[in-house]
Amino acid sequence: MSTTGYNESLLDPHAREARRETDKPAARRRARRRPEPFTIVSYIVVTLFGLFCLIPLWMIVAGSFTDETVLARQGYSLFPSPFSLTAYELLFGGQSLLNGYVASLFITLVGTILSVSGTATLAWVIARRLPWISRPLTVFAYVPMLFHGGLVPLYLLVTQVLSLSNSWFAVILPILLAPFLVFITVSFFRQLPEEILDAARIDGAGELRIFFQIVLPLSKPILAVLGLFYAVTYWNEWFMALLFVSDPDKYPLQLILQNLIANVTNATSLPGATAAEAAAPVYQLRFAMTVLTVGPILFAYPFAQRFFVKGITLGATKG
Amino acid sequence: MQGKAIVPAALKRGPSSRDGLVLLLLAVPGIAWFAVFAYGPMAGLVVAFKDFNIRDGIFGSPWNGFANFRYFLTSGDALTIVVNTLFLNALFLSASLLAGLILALMLNEIRGSLYRRFMQSTIFFPYFVSPIVISIMLQVILSGVGGSGGALNNLLSVIDLPQPSWYTEPGAWPWILTIVKVWQLGGYTSVIFLAAITSISEEVYEAAAIDGASRARMALSITTPLLLPTLGVLLVLGVGRIFFGDFATIYAIVQDNGILFPTTDVIDTYVFRSLRTIGDFGTTAAIGLFQSVVGFFFVTAAVLVQRRFHKESSIL
Repeated sequence: MSTTGYNESLLDPHAREARRETDKPAARRRARRRPEPFTIVSYIVVTLFGLFCLIPLWMIVAGSFTDETVLARQGYSLFPSPFSLTAYELLFGGQSLLNGYVASLFITLVGTILSVSGTATLAWVIARRLPWISRPLTVFAYVPMLFHGGLVPLYLLVTQVLSLSNSWFAVILPILLAPFLVFITVSFFRQLPEEILDAARIDGAGELRIFFQIVLPLSKPILAVLGLFYAVTYWNEWFMALLFVSDPDKYPLQLILQNLIANVTNATSLPGATAAEAAAPVYQLRFAMTVLTVGPILFAYPFAQRFFVKGITLGATKG
Repeated sequence: MQGKAIVPAALKRGPSSRDGLVLLLLAVPGIAWFAVFAYGPMAGLVVAFKDFNIRDGIFGSPWNGFANFRYFLTSGDALTIVVNTLFLNALFLSASLLAGLILALMLNEIRGSLYRRFMQSTIFFPYFVSPIVISIMLQVILSGVGGSGGALNNLLSVIDLPQPSWYTEPGAWPWILTIVKVWQLGGYTSVIFLAAITSISEEVYEAAAIDGASRARMALSITTPLLLPTLGVLLVLGVGRIFFGDFATIYAIVQDNGILFPTTDVIDTYVFRSLRTIGDFGTTAAIGLFQSVVGFFFVTAAVLVQRRFHKESSIL
């Protein structure tokens, strides 16, 4: 036994615990009184980076509310003056915006449902460690992460073999399953408590019943992660649409935007061109369209963000 | 012996062959998708060895050996786009990892407050902005309405600096694209690093505090070294994908602006443009196959390195 109280408290885990309890607030109080240089620098740098992330987006929002002639004369400003709703009136008056939303919503909703179902079912069969099935399936789903056929064969497959040109399924199907997300789901399924599944088996539940009534309800967190990742991918997808959709009535929002960039001066390609013809405020319309395209993501973001954090954290440790 | 007898028969026999069949049925949609959309295009790569025409189709067109590859490799574009792909990806990777690391270290200084959560959400958001929207943003900053000078040039004019016409300056674009990548991925990468930071024991910092270390010293001598394994994993994954350009972002920004091709054209954008403008399926498939094969070696090497040094983080 040590003679001094000081040493004793160092050796005794309870005493150490207690000491930490009392020390911590003190340390924090000290830090609050005089923050260290690095902490101050951190606040400044993080704030600046936050502004760097937000300002470009805000400029688009401001631009969408600023009259085109003012934009051309005075350049961009952070606050729209005079305030103008011309672009939004044109967009909401025309048919293109509605068509674009219908297309994007269809692709996102149908795509996400198909993707999540496909990923979860395949992942469960792999996670189940069935002899003769799970191991080969793992390799089967892993190889495409290492090697893929590339753009040309895919293009020929979709247009020549499957004849999906101008169908929204041409946008959905090529990106339906992400092998990476399949494997993240597999590792989640393997962490489910085996006892619950065993209990169900003793009660005589079949494989399908176990999957639908026990595994899926227990897997809501990973299903949310999957759904959100796939949904954002589909909402932002424009390359597949660029390749396979040529009928302007079927353009998703991103492709309408892409066309607004590609044909800067071509007023006839603008949504709302019927209303405004050549005098259409090209830039203001573009910004308004951008705001309406990013809008839904921005709206869902506060609710969805924690699932994304969970997803990429899983991805970083498992992939 | 006795312990074994307690295990119910339903568990002891494991999945029966009937169960296996039912489960296989569950996997059929996934298997079908992989067969058609992942393995189908691999079979379609025979186009690279053919003088392709639509009438005869993929398998009916006449063979032409390595003519497609020869055409591409002697075209003079090959070296440019391969160098661009490697150079740009190396820039993007190092810049976004560095930015993510620094941001994570600094976010970690902002403790337990609402402000930290707000900032984290803010810098993570650009990850969800589509390439097309990024492209429009960049035009606001660099070119303005009708090329009247964007926000950046307005700023430069205030402090009397030259105002380049950015969309005709190929030399500036590797750096502009790198800044775009930092904007897009800085917050995302920092989230991964922050997750790793939370697993570092608080006691290490307490010990350092007792020894009189400053916050800056702790970040440099404790947090950073403990983040190296995470950095390594991300680096290896990035190097594995170094032969595949970020098509979406680059094409959305550069579009068909030929002036910028010398510094921004990567394999993926080149393939897409050849397909669209020349319509030469054989040659473009050959370039794609070349990319897939070289890419395969990079990815496989990356996977092997990762498994060697960081077994628990590998997928298989």
